[in-house]
Amino acid sequence: AFVRSVMISCYTSLVLFFIPWAAMHDTVRDDGKDIADYQSFALLTQTCLLIVVSAQVRSRRHHRLWNGNMAQIQFSGRVPPLIICTARNSLNQPNVWLTMFLTCLLCVIPLVAFRFLLIQLRPTITDKVRRNLQINRKEDFLSPAPRRPPARRISTRRSSYAFSHSKGYGDLVTSRKFLRLKRRPSLFTRKNSALVENQPQLYRTITEEAEETQNVDALRD
Amino acid sequence: MVKQEQKESSDRPDNTAFTQQRLPAWQPILSAGIVIPGFVLIGLAFIGVGVGLFITSQNIQVLELDYTGADTANPCYECGRQSTKNCVCTMEFSLSTLFKGPVFFYYGLTNYFQNQRRYGVSKDDTQLFGDLDAIKSPTSDCAPFDYDGNNRSIVPCGALANSIFNDTFKLYVKTNNTGKREVPLDGKGIAWWTDYNVKHRNPDVTPLKDAFKGNTVKPINWPKPVYELDTTDEYNNGFINQDFLVWMRRAALPDFRKLYRRITADEYHDGLPAGNYSLEITYNYPVLTFNGRKKVVLSNVSWMGGKNDFLGIAYLVVGSLCIVMSIVMLIVYAKFKFPEED
Repeated sequence: AFVRSVMISCYTSLVLFFIPWAAMHDTVRDDGKDIADYQSFALLTQTCLLIVVSAQVRSRRHHRLWNGNMAQIQFSGRVPPLIICTARNSLNQPNVWLTMFLTCLLCVIPLVAFRFLLIQLRPTITDKVRRNLQINRKEDFLSPAPRRPPARRISTRRSSYAFSHSKGYGDLVTSRKFLRLKRRPSLFTRKNSALVENQPQLYRTITEEAEETQNVDALRD
Repeated sequence: MVKQEQKESSDRPDNTAFTQQRLPAWQPILSAGIVIPGFVLIGLAFIGVGVGLFITSQNIQVLELDYTGADTANPCYECGRQSTKNCVCTMEFSLSTLFKGPVFFYYGLTNYFQNQRRYGVSKDDTQLFGDLDAIKSPTSDCAPFDYDGNNRSIVPCGALANSIFNDTFKLYVKTNNTGKREVPLDGKGIAWWTDYNVKHRNPDVTPLKDAFKGNTVKPINWPKPVYELDTTDEYNNGFINQDFLVWMRRAALPDFRKLYRRITADEYHDGLPAGNYSLEITYNYPVLTFNGRKKVVLSNVSWMGGKNDFLGIAYLVVGSLCIVMSIVMLIVYAKFKFPEED
């Protein structure tokens, strides 16, 4: 995980510097005046950095990135108030906005793509549960079939201990989908042992989860 | 035990949402229905913008003339070798097609590090703002260009001002009968509006010369003092001289160009017509000692600024990558989703 952070930081730093550098190299404003001066370049780079770091923090909810963000804000605080003049001169150039947009997207898009691929190829338990919650919500909308609830209630109760510490289960618990005091013998017998055969056991469609929870129950017994 | 609890309660943070980390948070859930079309849209948009930028950049005309005189073939070779002041050399060039206007005339320097820190901070902004006290006693940042040998204050102080670019240019268009006609160059409004109106001010003394009476002296490398930079126009004299302002705006990179003049006369309203031209250069600025190069750049501009192919190409590349990524993600999603649905 550390190596991964380092790699992401290296990539982001390189992108954040070299794209504004290449965009400003040997160019001018649209009325011919200079734009490739020191303060404009610094302004462009810093703005890109702030936007990128904010986007990364928001998307990954990692607090360690705040350190970098704070450091950059301190550096921008050191620039004298004449940054207003520089900002006024460079921020009305479409060139500058396009460069900023490109830099920020180039930093954020690979992370989004990696996360999406990871969710598809190696979903963590939280991801699976979140997907199932989404499917549940969709199916509740589409077809509130009466035969569905028993199956779901059984298996979610079976897995609630193992996953109670992950995000999303707070919603599940408080949604009152299980722990209802209904007098149905099948529910109570299911709680004790996995091998009760009073009622036919209805499994959920996700086979991996069923296997895992069966292992957990076996260990508990 | 009770005392310990009391101590703990004084250290305990407040029960607010911020300190107890109960702030509402939002995390985007990356579902295939959002991510894949999103990538496709971004890719298409970037490719569109990239094509526009690239075509615009290709349509910008640029002409560069290196006049350092580093090799013997260059007309300015003799001037480069000697160190006499105001050596004059002439460069000839021709345009095959109309150079669309408005045409901008830049001087460019290579291997010149205006962004070197000690060099770049060597100036006094209060002096440049017209403060009379700062004129008499400049800040120590300017050392060793703050006082001269006789303890007189240098105005404007600092290495940045001292090394102002002092080559001058005249452009002539060759007429049919071996004569030449000068192309008028316009030097108004070449610096940033904020530099001219906000950052730099002349001292509030008329005549301007009187503000510098007493114990002040011009920088070592300047031919004339600052209040004689342009005696014909009082709005271009002193600290608000346009060439001076353009020079003082430090460049970020070692290869840079600075605006010198514009060609906006009525006769050249559409641009420079095709033909033969000659450029007369008054060669003063020494760059060969540090292996730098000097050049003159003629360019026109567009909505995206000067000629810069990079941004167009970068947008095209990133757009194509986005589309490729979206196809990859679609394949991965299709492959790994369907087995679960069985």
